[in-house]
Amino acid sequence: MIWRTLWTVFAKELRDALRDRRTLMVVFFTSVAIGPLTLVMLSTLIDKFEKRAEAREIVVVGLDRAPTLRNFLERQTYAIRPAPPDWEAQLRESTLGDPVVIVPADFEDVLAHGEAPVVQLVYSSANARAQSGVGRIEHVLQGLSQEHATLRLVARGVSPSLLNVLQVDEHDVADNAARAAQLTGMLPYFVLMAMLYGALNAALDTTAGERERGSLEPLLATPAARGALVVGKWGAVLAVALLIAVLSCLSFLPAQKLLRSESLAALFRFGAGEAAAFVALLAPLAAALSATMMAIAIRCKTFKEAQAGNSVVVLSVSLLPMIGLFGQEGEAAWHRWVPGLSQTTLMTRVLKGSPIGLPDVLPGVLVCVAIAAAALLAVDRQLVRRAAQ
Amino acid sequence: MIAMEGLRKTFESGRGRKARRVVAVDGMSLHARDGAITGLLGPNGAGKTTSLRMLVGLVTPDEGRIVVDGIALADDPQGVRARLGVLSDARGLYPRLTARENIVYHGQLHGLPAAAAHARCDELARLLDMQPLLERRTDGFSQGERMKTALARALVHDPANIVLDEPTNGLDVVATRALRDALRRLRDDTGKCIVFSTHIMQEVERLCDRVIVVAHGRRVAEGTVAELCALAGTDDFEDAFVRLAFAAPETIA
Repeated sequence: MIWRTLWTVFAKELRDALRDRRTLMVVFFTSVAIGPLTLVMLSTLIDKFEKRAEAREIVVVGLDRAPTLRNFLERQTYAIRPAPPDWEAQLRESTLGDPVVIVPADFEDVLAHGEAPVVQLVYSSANARAQSGVGRIEHVLQGLSQEHATLRLVARGVSPSLLNVLQVDEHDVADNAARAAQLTGMLPYFVLMAMLYGALNAALDTTAGERERGSLEPLLATPAARGALVVGKWGAVLAVALLIAVLSCLSFLPAQKLLRSESLAALFRFGAGEAAAFVALLAPLAAALSATMMAIAIRCKTFKEAQAGNSVVVLSVSLLPMIGLFGQEGEAAWHRWVPGLSQTTLMTRVLKGSPIGLPDVLPGVLVCVAIAAAALLAVDRQLVRRAAQ
Repeated sequence: MIAMEGLRKTFESGRGRKARRVVAVDGMSLHARDGAITGLLGPNGAGKTTSLRMLVGLVTPDEGRIVVDGIALADDPQGVRARLGVLSDARGLYPRLTARENIVYHGQLHGLPAAAAHARCDELARLLDMQPLLERRTDGFSQGERMKTALARALVHDPANIVLDEPTNGLDVVATRALRDALRRLRDDTGKCIVFSTHIMQEVERLCDRVIVVAHGRRVAEGTVAELCALAGTDDFEDAFVRLAFAAPETIA
């Protein structure tokens, strides 16, 4: 009998929630669609950076005064663009996306005297596009310097290797997935928020909404076991939350095809396996959040009051993952025990392709199960008390 | 059969210095037999709704006993609820569900299999003359349509005892008449025990076999309409009610 009641309540609440098309549409557009959109926009930006790096272009003022530099740049297959007259203003306003090289009038003269002419490299650190090219241009200019220095040493019979006391050999230990995770680190956060908003409406509707409509009292006048009512309602909220989480994950699969940056698309690691891991990691959190939001909402007489009451939950769940996102010190052991943070950290690991063991998952699951159980007990206690108020 | 004996309930509101104790029900007793409509008549705030909430188990009495068809509420609250059909003060429906879905949902919560709940729903729709409403979502329903749906929902498990808290609130004349007819049929055809709370004289005069006058949280008088008029020494039922309900408590006791 209890199982039948549970199923009846679950089926009714789920049907009721899925018929709330308008709310679901809003959740869909604000939560499910926003992630892929941001990703595509981000990839367009990265694509522009990459194109710029490949373009081998240099913007110079007064190159006609320095044939040596021109000769060197052309040998490096650089395309030379003269700077627009208002280049400084354009740099400030970010309409010019390249740093500008200024050649002094006495460039050749100073060089011929064996001294070092001063070449200015102008950029704006508020102009991200121009700043990204600074390293590349500096490298090219250093190349000319290096070439001349070598010639001078050779002319004096000195081996250039004398100057190289130290050789630097760079090794990047990040594999492709880990590098991509820097960019796709937002993904877990988007999925988490989509799930949270999906659960919020359903949780409020089955508790505070039921009180506001005046349908809770008739419901409690039936002989249905109260525990079964609570668990059935919770199950439906959880199902809606997971449904939204699944939709949110799936929305990233086609979004990958739209990625503009080829290298990002090649690095992006999000397939059906990753999506399934996301949902599995989020399930305990969804259970805890659904129950908590219900426990807060059942104390409220109206939907609106319940929304205000639950803003604390929404806010803390949206802020906690930020610790991981912006934290520079990496993962700490206590992160595993914090609901929200634990799950986003583990989802990031899934994206990086690093292995996840039971000791990593267990603390988060335990905390979530404990929260869910405590919150459900609270709902059960309050249900009857609040119905008659 | 519904019996309440010596029910008492005190609510506390506020905290600290502002704390107030409100005695909502103060020694309420009631006996309602099968095959009769018992009216619970009293002014606003007399304790009718609280008494009916105690009957369903939503409010726990501080003192007293409630027995329905020989089952004590304290011993088997689920058994008691299974024997009651309650149309309470709050009669909210689920707006995104159709009238049928609202009714069948409660039927299933009462333990009916889906097929039986649907059959009962059709039967009640005939009794309450609401067949055209069944497949519509209850969102845009009028007061009368809501009341019919809520009543059908309360009766879906064919309970032996029917409790109605101010059922005619907000209904027009036609809907009120339809409800009265339905209640008479339930009493005469199936011998239900019907308890009906109201503060409208006409309702009681036209419908009730016995009347219990409630004031100050307790029963102050009981009898047929004629008996109550005789008790108060007047021919007019409204006068009788005012004398019985608003008289100083000690003069009647």
